[in-house]
Amino acid sequence: MVGFNFKSVYTIAKKEFMDNIRSRWIIAISIIFIILTIVSSYVAGGQGEFGGMEATVATLLSISALLIPLIAIMLGFSTIAGEAEKGALYVVLSYPVRRVEVLLGKFLGLGSVLALTPLIGFGLGGIVIAATVGAEEGLAYLAFIGLSILLGVMYLSAVICISALCSTRVRAIAGGVILFFWAMIYGLIVMSIYIASGGSYEDFLSPSGLSSLPDWFWTSVVFSPNDTNQMAVMQAFGLKQAFGFQIEAPDWINMPFLLTVQLIWLLVPLFLAYFFFKRRDI
Amino acid sequence: MITKTIMCPKCKNTLTVQGNPGEKVHITCPSCNIKGVFTFPIDESISRVVHDSFALEIKDLTKKYKELIAVNNLSFNVRKGEIFGLLGPNGAGKSTTIKAILGLIHTNSGEIKINGFDIIKKGIEARASVGYLPERVAFYDNLTPLQTMNFLSELWGVDKSVSKPLIKEVGLEDAINRKVGTFSKGMVQLLGVAQVMIGKPPVYILDEPMGGLDARWVKIIREKIKMLNKQGATILFSSHILSEVENLCHRVAIINRGKLIAEDTVANLNKYLRIKPRLEISISGLNGRVPEVIKNIEGIEAVNANDDTLFITCESYVKSHIITSLQNSGLKIDNIKTIEPSLEDAFVKLIEGGA
Repeated sequence: MVGFNFKSVYTIAKKEFMDNIRSRWIIAISIIFIILTIVSSYVAGGQGEFGGMEATVATLLSISALLIPLIAIMLGFSTIAGEAEKGALYVVLSYPVRRVEVLLGKFLGLGSVLALTPLIGFGLGGIVIAATVGAEEGLAYLAFIGLSILLGVMYLSAVICISALCSTRVRAIAGGVILFFWAMIYGLIVMSIYIASGGSYEDFLSPSGLSSLPDWFWTSVVFSPNDTNQMAVMQAFGLKQAFGFQIEAPDWINMPFLLTVQLIWLLVPLFLAYFFFKRRDI
Repeated sequence: MITKTIMCPKCKNTLTVQGNPGEKVHITCPSCNIKGVFTFPIDESISRVVHDSFALEIKDLTKKYKELIAVNNLSFNVRKGEIFGLLGPNGAGKSTTIKAILGLIHTNSGEIKINGFDIIKKGIEARASVGYLPERVAFYDNLTPLQTMNFLSELWGVDKSVSKPLIKEVGLEDAINRKVGTFSKGMVQLLGVAQVMIGKPPVYILDEPMGGLDARWVKIIREKIKMLNKQGATILFSSHILSEVENLCHRVAIINRGKLIAEDTVANLNKYLRIKPRLEISISGLNGRVPEVIKNIEGIEAVNANDDTLFITCESYVKSHIITSLQNSGLKIDNIKTIEPSLEDAFVKLIEGGA
């Protein structure tokens, strides 16, 4: 019978947390993240003529869209491929534990390290915003923190999957780099298809142009965890434009839809990771 | 019932006694009245029948990597309480075999049991009865030995109070709060030995435990193996260096190109291969000449003379005959060295024969 031991999951998670929270790279990038969020919360939020809430959110969003996936990838790329190559995984898997417990423990432990950065960064940033702009958007802001963590966890799940699949650390790094640039590559691909099929950049500048966008264009958003997450943040704040671009989506792209898509992005790579890890020769 | 004739150590009087294997009898010598205890030997064939439970059972194990057959239909058993050496040149399939035993790799065919538990069907129970030291052991760079051992104890399911004594036992107490990332290879290996003992499992599998370590570490690890065995543990360890295995193992299996070539005691392997001992005799004034007197002695396989040293490969029983013949012919023997057959010889012969 297939058993399951929660204590092993907890033990692995605790170890991953303790090990990675001390990693110099993770500390360095987290400090950069925290400083950037506090500074931009002050600059974008505090200066009345510059922006207010819309500009603040747009700025914070661009920071998190770049740095949170980066932290997730740095945390996760070597967790299986690297440890198998170095030898630590041999010891752990020779203990009375199941691979599913090790995998879940890693996911939860790395996930907690990952969650810490946006919690501290956006938490402190939130205090700055509350002091300068005001606290009216408090709930939306909390949702934004939650969505940022969700973004990181989606990337973490994907990068663990890559690490479980790749036989060497170097290949896992390559996989991580591709994953990191996926959001940009994907946006470019969709855009060029749209332009090639007779569309124009002008369509993104006005509400009427936006409503003329074909359905496939909106549906394509589900293939980019980054875009899905950003749209959810915009909707949480009720934003209709950012940096001059119109971003109001059709009605069916609502919060439940976006959250479901992100949940799929979270779970499917994790299941695949288990599949790869299970059949892997260590 | 066994009948044995024994000799009184004092007056050399002989006496015939009867008893069962393993039985102890108190004897009083009839001629000089000295008292003694005699234990009847346990018959080999009986002990084999009794030993129906093995610490490790490997049956028809095969592992293929694409085109390469790393392990080819390998079968052997390790008895409870023995130190078993898994020998073979680099790339023979030793590590693959060990990883398959622990279920770290998926096999193409075969059945493996640790302490009676099938590694696939009863993986948790099987792994709970074995401590494993991988060939390339590593831990987490940012954790200290104490944090590492606490983590592993918790993972094993024992109280983490075992960590400190085990770290002390391998002599790492001075580095207990240093990060493992700053450790030398030998220190990491010692931490590897410490973690093997978590939970006091009955079986230990050590993959090249002394590989690439200097003499000081090797000595510590050898002592640990002996100590664990004394406490009743079964130990399987692999090596490609024969001298490591020879004085430590009760039995060895030799594998090459994924196949079992031999499995026996070191002494029996030598006997089976009939590798003869070599004599090295120093005679002053020999000058590279083979003396006539020994040329016709039966039982000599090869004779070589180099300066003042004579190298003779021969049957054991002719050794004294050779020496007396040399002395009787008036040659002055300065030194005699007997080189007993080593596992190295057995190894070379087996691999050459098998290839």
